[in-house]
Amino acid sequence: MIKTDVIIIGGGATGCGIARDLALRGIPHCLIEKGDFAAGATGACHGLLHSGGRYAVSDPIAAKECYDENMILRRIGEKCVERTGGLFVRLPGDSKLFRERFLRSCDDIGIPTDILSSTKALELVPNLNPEIEEAIRVPDCSIDPFRLCLLNMKTSQKKGGLSFIRHKVTEIVQSHGRCIGVKAADAATGEVKEIHGNILVNASGAWADLVARLAGCEVPLTLSKGSLVITNHRLTDMVINRLRPSSDGDIIVPNEAVCLAGTTSLAVEDPDALSTQSAEVDAIIGEAGRMIPHFNKARIIRAFSGVRPLLKSQKMDSREISRGFQIIDHRNGLYSIVGGKLTTFRLMAEKMVDTIMNAFNLKRDCETADQPLDGQEELSGYPLSKRLADMKNILCECELVSRGSVENIIQETGTRHVGDISHRTRLGMGPCQGGFCTFRALGVMHDMEILTPQQSMQSLREFLQRRFRGIRYALWGDQLREEQLVEYLYLGILAMEKTRERH
Amino acid sequence: MSVIEYDVIVIGAGAAGLTAAAWLAEQQLRVALVTAGEPTACLSTGCIDVCSRSEHPLAGIAGLPDGHPFHQVSPELLSRSLDDFRQTMADMDMPYAGTLEINRRVLSAIGTFKNTCLVPATMQASPQSDAERIHLVTFTGLKDFYPGYILSRFPNASFSAYDAGVSTTMGIAANFEDGAFLETFLLWLERQKIRKDKIAFPAVLGLESAFSVSKQIESRLERPVFEIPTLPPSMPGRRLFNAMKDHLRRQGGVIYWNWPVIGVEKSGRQVEAVTTEAQGRPNSLNARAFILSTGSFVGGGLYAKRDRIVERVFDLPVFAPENRDDWFEQDYFSMNHGIGRAGIAVDDAFCPLESPWNNIFVCGSILARTETLKNGCGHGFAIATGRAAARSCLERLR
Repeated sequence: MIKTDVIIIGGGATGCGIARDLALRGIPHCLIEKGDFAAGATGACHGLLHSGGRYAVSDPIAAKECYDENMILRRIGEKCVERTGGLFVRLPGDSKLFRERFLRSCDDIGIPTDILSSTKALELVPNLNPEIEEAIRVPDCSIDPFRLCLLNMKTSQKKGGLSFIRHKVTEIVQSHGRCIGVKAADAATGEVKEIHGNILVNASGAWADLVARLAGCEVPLTLSKGSLVITNHRLTDMVINRLRPSSDGDIIVPNEAVCLAGTTSLAVEDPDALSTQSAEVDAIIGEAGRMIPHFNKARIIRAFSGVRPLLKSQKMDSREISRGFQIIDHRNGLYSIVGGKLTTFRLMAEKMVDTIMNAFNLKRDCETADQPLDGQEELSGYPLSKRLADMKNILCECELVSRGSVENIIQETGTRHVGDISHRTRLGMGPCQGGFCTFRALGVMHDMEILTPQQSMQSLREFLQRRFRGIRYALWGDQLREEQLVEYLYLGILAMEKTRERH
Repeated sequence: MSVIEYDVIVIGAGAAGLTAAAWLAEQQLRVALVTAGEPTACLSTGCIDVCSRSEHPLAGIAGLPDGHPFHQVSPELLSRSLDDFRQTMADMDMPYAGTLEINRRVLSAIGTFKNTCLVPATMQASPQSDAERIHLVTFTGLKDFYPGYILSRFPNASFSAYDAGVSTTMGIAANFEDGAFLETFLLWLERQKIRKDKIAFPAVLGLESAFSVSKQIESRLERPVFEIPTLPPSMPGRRLFNAMKDHLRRQGGVIYWNWPVIGVEKSGRQVEAVTTEAQGRPNSLNARAFILSTGSFVGGGLYAKRDRIVERVFDLPVFAPENRDDWFEQDYFSMNHGIGRAGIAVDDAFCPLESPWNNIFVCGSILARTETLKNGCGHGFAIATGRAAARSCLERLR
């Protein structure tokens, strides 16, 4: 049995942020995540570090939080934030009234804005629709959510914090009506670990209600599915927003070598049963194409969905529900932290840990806003030159990932999952979506003699199945062609064993 | 615009198009083959899959669903076209082994076995079970071959790695064309004191001369040698394509390389010419008949728009699931994706159904209901339908 002070359930941005905050305040903790870090909403979003502009009109409080956190994160996390800047573009027919309200709200909140003529905006982003009326510049950024989580966990690990990924909490252990620990099953081996702590934090996002129910509690959530598409290259170097009330497909974010566009908003019940519809994909492309016409011809390499865990409210349209967050004290040693957004994860963690410090009757101020994220010295902002220097052993040509870095990840994490390598290196995230490099990454594991044939076949099968779910709804044109080639590689050339014979 | 006149123009340089063009040229017709570039045959293993999902190719064909285009090729014609193929390849010093009676196994780069009908002679010694005692030779830094995949499945396997100074498939294969390199390599190989029954290599034993290279290794090491097909760029696929291309030229066929077709000229029910773009100007190629062998999606014969699938040269009607959501099933491995059936439906004479023109013939993987992967109907299907479409075309011209 493992004993610690605080048990964190969930390895998204919130959970990882709480782990870092606890580490900096000297509190022993253990984080449990059922998948990989950033596997839920954290990893399935635009990767937009909001300036607050998006919420300025509808939710000024959330907008202010976003703006403040944006300023903090660009300072403490410069290696996972790209200071792209953002534009709110107004197309012919978009309400001028909304523009006025937008400018006034930004002004009230303190979000700096800069009104640009269409000519000036086109100079900044030549791919923009030349028919735009004008654009308003705001300090949006793009952020790498995987890297963000890993850097937060670096601090936790440095200070002796524990973390178990691919461990699912199956039971919350209670004694005399208080939650005193959890049982977590290792997804690979089925082995169950029992971990005891004084306080349990439920930071499991869309799964918060499911986790709370293990302790007989409830977390009233509204789950809202948002779908996104990814292009195979950057169509803009700035974040592009539509200057109108929130709607489908009105944000485009450049991230590393690609662009993400979205989203949609549909109420769902089960966070584990998400599927992206062709109609959503078409709608996003259509809307994004109004801001950047080239979107209609761009190659879409992936379409996927994430779930926004929003606080339940009477309002019918989930976009109207506050993006603000809430800490729920279940009064039995379990706390749930729900709502919020990626941009405000650090603030959420701060408030959560303040609550914990209060409960422990300890005093130590939060330092997460002042100290730069650990582990950034090893990263260059966009380490292309570093990766090119290692060109001889490039396993993933799309994203320039070397054999050396793949071997390091395998050694450091002991992983047998190609997905874990992808999250940490971007292997397989380019146009072929892992078609070629998955064979290579598993080949490296084989050469390191850590895989049985069954494991490699299983891993390959899982990877291809998951990959397919991501690309299934964005298959046409060149991407369909690429997909057919990949299918031929694995089933034709490599003669992958079939799961079962079909008659 | 320059105008050149042929009897038949074949569009597409895969196994189907090359077979059709070479056979028609052999029949003394004036034949030209136009291709936008390298065919997908270059990505292939070079193996001739006839119907690989069954132990017996002929029984497999008999069991294909009604409407499968393979049913339009008689067993006699299939047999004759494969015999001719083998003869041709032997003449080109690239012999093939195997028989239509039974499929054989070829070891894949992940240690599994692939079923196929005819194999390049360099794969003839491929093991038929994982109990065989094999020694793998790989090349330092080669990123498309990992011995561990095979070692973990073969209890009686060993391996050694040779530093060829280059790490790409093409680079190593080019080295093997050099006698001095081969000699140095053979001396190294002798020093390895290999005790296993067979020696395995990733398929890099030369660009064109793999057969002679493997024979030299066999005679020096006194044991069978075989190649393992790799991911593209695949040498055995490239060798197959080059040999078929050279054969066509020897028969008097003309090849227009890198000449993508951009337009069609027609008159009444006849296509009179295709326009291609090359050397910065349009060229019109006239012919009495046209054979379409542009392949499926990877080959570029078919293209999926967001709402429908189109045939790219003649805009022929395409047989395909109408709704984009029906192109793929949810399960990646179902092998039953609707997209696999997409293609051009033809009549008994391999002429497209519902086509406004009557001098077009279609062969190879662009044919509707082929389901190349599901049925294992690869180059063997292409060769057989290429021959059948060519014969039908010849009858029509006479």
